[in-house]
Amino acid sequence: MKKFLSIAVSLMLFGSVLAGCGASKPAEQAAPAPAEKAATAEKAAEPAPAQKTFKVAYVARAQSDSFAAWLANAVKDEAKKYPNIKLDVFDGQASDEKENSMIENAITSKYDLVIVQPNNGEAQRPYVEKVVKAGIFAITTNARISGIEGASSVDAQPYEQAAVNARAAINQIPKNAKVVVLKGPSGNFHADERRKSWQTEFFDKRPDVKIVGEQIANWNKDEAMKYMEDWVQANDKIDAIIAMNDNMCAGALEVVKNNPKYKDVLAYGVDGTAEAMLLIKEGKMTSTCLQNAFELAEKLLDTSNKLLTGQQKKIDTDIGNPLVNKENVDQYIEILKKSGAIK
Amino acid sequence: MNNNKLLSTWSKLTSKYSIYLVLVAMVIISTIISPVFFSGQNFANISRQISITTIIAFGETLLIIAGLIDLSAGSVLALAGVLSVSAYKATGSLAVSLLVGILVGVACNFLNGVVATKFKTPPFIATLSMMTIARGVALLYTKGQNIYQIGDYIVWGQSNIFFLPTPVVFMIGIAAITWYLLNHTRFGRYLYAVGGNQEAARASGINVDRTKMTAFLINGVFVGVAGVLFMSRVNAGLPNAGIGFEFDAMTSAIIGGTSFSGGVGTAMGTLVGAFIMGLLSNIMNLIGIGAYMQQIIKGAIIALAVMYDIYAKTKRDTRKLGNIEERVQGDKSVGA
Repeated sequence: MKKFLSIAVSLMLFGSVLAGCGASKPAEQAAPAPAEKAATAEKAAEPAPAQKTFKVAYVARAQSDSFAAWLANAVKDEAKKYPNIKLDVFDGQASDEKENSMIENAITSKYDLVIVQPNNGEAQRPYVEKVVKAGIFAITTNARISGIEGASSVDAQPYEQAAVNARAAINQIPKNAKVVVLKGPSGNFHADERRKSWQTEFFDKRPDVKIVGEQIANWNKDEAMKYMEDWVQANDKIDAIIAMNDNMCAGALEVVKNNPKYKDVLAYGVDGTAEAMLLIKEGKMTSTCLQNAFELAEKLLDTSNKLLTGQQKKIDTDIGNPLVNKENVDQYIEILKKSGAIK
Repeated sequence: MNNNKLLSTWSKLTSKYSIYLVLVAMVIISTIISPVFFSGQNFANISRQISITTIIAFGETLLIIAGLIDLSAGSVLALAGVLSVSAYKATGSLAVSLLVGILVGVACNFLNGVVATKFKTPPFIATLSMMTIARGVALLYTKGQNIYQIGDYIVWGQSNIFFLPTPVVFMIGIAAITWYLLNHTRFGRYLYAVGGNQEAARASGINVDRTKMTAFLINGVFVGVAGVLFMSRVNAGLPNAGIGFEFDAMTSAIIGGTSFSGGVGTAMGTLVGAFIMGLLSNIMNLIGIGAYMQQIIKGAIIALAVMYDIYAKTKRDTRKLGNIEERVQGDKSVGA
């Protein structure tokens, strides 16, 4: 009896925690529609009598990764605009093995189209090939797995995303500057391409610039902060922060934000998160490249629709890589305000 | 004679304080190899960097001493942190935000405790489930997105109290609480007893389940506080925060002499263990060692530090009690 009482109490306690979560919805979420809505919309998209409904599987890299989650949310919302498409989202949990088995499951469950956001392009390649072989449409996205016969793709180009920043930095970073570099996880396609781009477009052309610190901060703000604290300690000056994503850039800036010695530090990122936009607006961050999840989602669903309705057999398309800096940040902040990501 | 006495005192000290010596040695070496290492600013940096995992490490120390473990600390930190940030955004009250963080930590650990004690589930599994549940709730609540524009919430993690960073003040306070609990309360003695030999503890009238439950609840308070400090330090509500923090925390505790077999461990040891870990990362960054090499060196030095510590302690015990293995074997032969 005592046991059951304690279970009941604990469940209630945890339930009340959950209820508390639901009650105050955070207004700053980047994706506009609440989760419940998405769920009802998915139900609403059940087969309409006259029209054939297509089953689409979206296999996300990891829903714990903030960009991947933004994209998954955007894809879900976009799918609601297509009454002939029923979308299911799967979470690859940042593991090649888990993501691959989800792709296999999607083949077994006879989806009409499978969208794959790879965790690691080469690891998912044979599985996407299996999808095509099973006569199912396949789209790879963010990042594209290129060269798969019969598969389509929608992507932003990680090389270009960093390159637009690097090309601007050529004229902004002073002569003989000391810079620090914050990298994404090693082996990650976007992390590697962005770093390669900075090498080719900037460091190779500016041999006078010295890298005084370069570490892998795994896309994370807190890890970037630790490295920056140590770098500030070890160097009498740092002229620029070169980060492979906005989270890490924001972390490094967090460390020096009240330090008068660093008020002119240059800082570059990629992604175009709400936080980065605000930092650019305040003049603390120099530039970023917007990887627009809404635009990716629009193109993904449009491509899916065209493939499924037989309008086209294979589509390869890219979204733009706009550089966001102090001059044009206001227009992007407007977009984010509309989406509810910032107030 | 005098010389001999000195030698034996020295050898007693080195074996008793072996892990402290490792830390002192590391400070000396670091000071030699980096001109910027030995400064107040750098020590403030190290303390700030380790404060959050160290606070968790004190919770782990209490649990490990009692033969328990908490794998959910990193996830609960994230959940407590994002809910605390939201609470602050909703109410504008710093006190409420801290309270919410602590309550979430305690609620999750209450469940850990119930599952581990009432249902006799191994704590490894009980807290492993909580690890995925808490992370899932944090992601679901935020839809995987970071929460920004958190205003004055950053006071918790970015301000100073006198000359000390606030998170460091919390760390010192929690170190003191842990030390007091372990050395000066009945609960502390019960923890050692339960971890050392659960059946003997039960037989001597200790309420084992209640002791374990209390350990989980205190751990919950610590993890909740850590969640608030973390989010404040990074100036955002990050649902994917703290992944793997429980392992860093356990490493600090184990380096500091806490034993996974239970019944052994001290608050000061854990603090020293945390400083050894923090100092190691700090000095490697200061002198610019590459990311891959850092991992190798870190692993090697942790292993060496603990090997030396155990070697020194065994030497002491052998001196005091004779060879333990012989004794154990001797006891067995008597029993047979």
